[in-house]
Amino acid sequence: MIKLENVTKSYKGDVVALRAANADIAKGEFVFLVGASGSGKSTFIRLLNKEEVPDQGHIFVAGKDIGELSGWKVPYLRRNIGCVFQDFKLLTNKTVADNVGFALEVIGRPKHVVRTQVPAILELVGLSNKMGRYPHELSGGEQQRVSIARAFVNRPLILLADEPTGNLDPTTSVGIMRLLDRINRTGTTVVMATHDRGIVDTMRRRVIELDRGNIIRDQSRGVYE
Amino acid sequence: MTKASYIARETGNNLLRNISLTVASMVTVAVSLSLVGSALLLRQGVQNATARWEGGIEFIVFIEPDATADQKQAIADSLDASPAVASFTFVNQEAAYDEFVELFQRSPEMIDAIDPEDLPSSYRVVPVDPDAGGIEALGSTFDTAPGVYRVVFAFDTVQQVQKLSRVLSIGVLVVAGVLLFAAGLLILNTIRMAMFARRREIEVMKLVGATNWFIRIPYMLEGLVQGIVGAIIAVGSVVVLNNFFESRLSGEEADAFAILQGFAVSNSEVMGTSMFVLGVGMVVGAIGSGIAVSRYLDV
Repeated sequence: MIKLENVTKSYKGDVVALRAANADIAKGEFVFLVGASGSGKSTFIRLLNKEEVPDQGHIFVAGKDIGELSGWKVPYLRRNIGCVFQDFKLLTNKTVADNVGFALEVIGRPKHVVRTQVPAILELVGLSNKMGRYPHELSGGEQQRVSIARAFVNRPLILLADEPTGNLDPTTSVGIMRLLDRINRTGTTVVMATHDRGIVDTMRRRVIELDRGNIIRDQSRGVYE
Repeated sequence: MTKASYIARETGNNLLRNISLTVASMVTVAVSLSLVGSALLLRQGVQNATARWEGGIEFIVFIEPDATADQKQAIADSLDASPAVASFTFVNQEAAYDEFVELFQRSPEMIDAIDPEDLPSSYRVVPVDPDAGGIEALGSTFDTAPGVYRVVFAFDTVQQVQKLSRVLSIGVLVVAGVLLFAAGLLILNTIRMAMFARRREIEVMKLVGATNWFIRIPYMLEGLVQGIVGAIIAVGSVVVLNNFFESRLSGEEADAFAILQGFAVSNSEVMGTSMFVLGVGMVVGAIGSGIAVSRYLDV
């Protein structure tokens, strides 16, 4: 599903974020990216939906070299990739339902699809009773559920999560991880960058460890260290 | 269908959200295009006025009031004989007086003071060749003929009016051009502000895979609407101004403006100018928002 071949990415010449990285992630896998801040986790994720372009190497998503993708096709790549962030990136002036619906609306999905899909996905993330609320009326965990709902409402093949539990307490984080696990079980490939040792050690999934841009460990059913 | 309603809603919201800047852009477009429209109509009016002269650019040979019948006949004969003269008409003292009365009907004391015999009779001449130099040469030959009071060239006036209108309309168009440039910059900045205010939404739209055009179109339309609305205001004010001018020309005060009669422009000319002004408004709006979108919306 995702393949990196000798991918190098540096910023402003000397800061190397990723050096000759190779990785092969199969459909339906759940992968943790671990490593210190600045080790290249976020760059790894941003390369996958072409927010960044590698200096060298090739990246394949769903069998296609995304380096060869012309600019106008990038949005269609992104429709297959859901994204979740540490800071949620919810729109504060829209309700929970509208935040999720917005993601469908702006890719041109018809109204009746929005009307049926939004309640269904909010049911899945356990927020059916909060559809009319605004983000600031929700707890951090609930806001992250909304952002996961938004990322998943279009049923993408891949879900990228950049420290999704970074702003949440351990109990809330467990809930979020359960949700991501559930999404993974529907066949969605999940790539998650994290600092959270507890989560990685409990879940026992594949771990790719980065250190100053180098992949220093790639272990199935791994632990944080 | 979702798309159309989405785009209409977003464009409307953007315009309202930034109402002060939107109004500023529209007013600037309106003022500059009013100047463009007025300058074009003025030019058109002058063209119409001078077109009447073109029907027979003439010079007038005024006869001394005490000229003898023989002298008059001699002038008429030489006009008749000249191959450079296409036609000529004799305006006698009574006809000249009628014209005078018409022109000065609001000043009865002037009319009382003048009798028909005080006014010179004249020959109004249509030359064959409308070339200015030729006419002057032709007219001058009568200047010294016996019984001629003086020769007046209509051409001088026409030329002056044309020159004035050219200078005036070029000046106005230059000012309008500068203002239009400012209007374009204002629209550009309005759109940029709108995009900045909505940067989080734009970010989310990019992340979930909205196409570039889908993101751009509401902002493009916002600029276009500003240009068009400004142009519509300009067209409105130019039409109102023209109608006012026209009513002064044809109303009861018409004769006070007799000299301006020729400057009236037709409805189709007003329509053509309006269309042009609307087109310019659209282009300015499209360019302003186009630059804003392509430079500041990194999709």
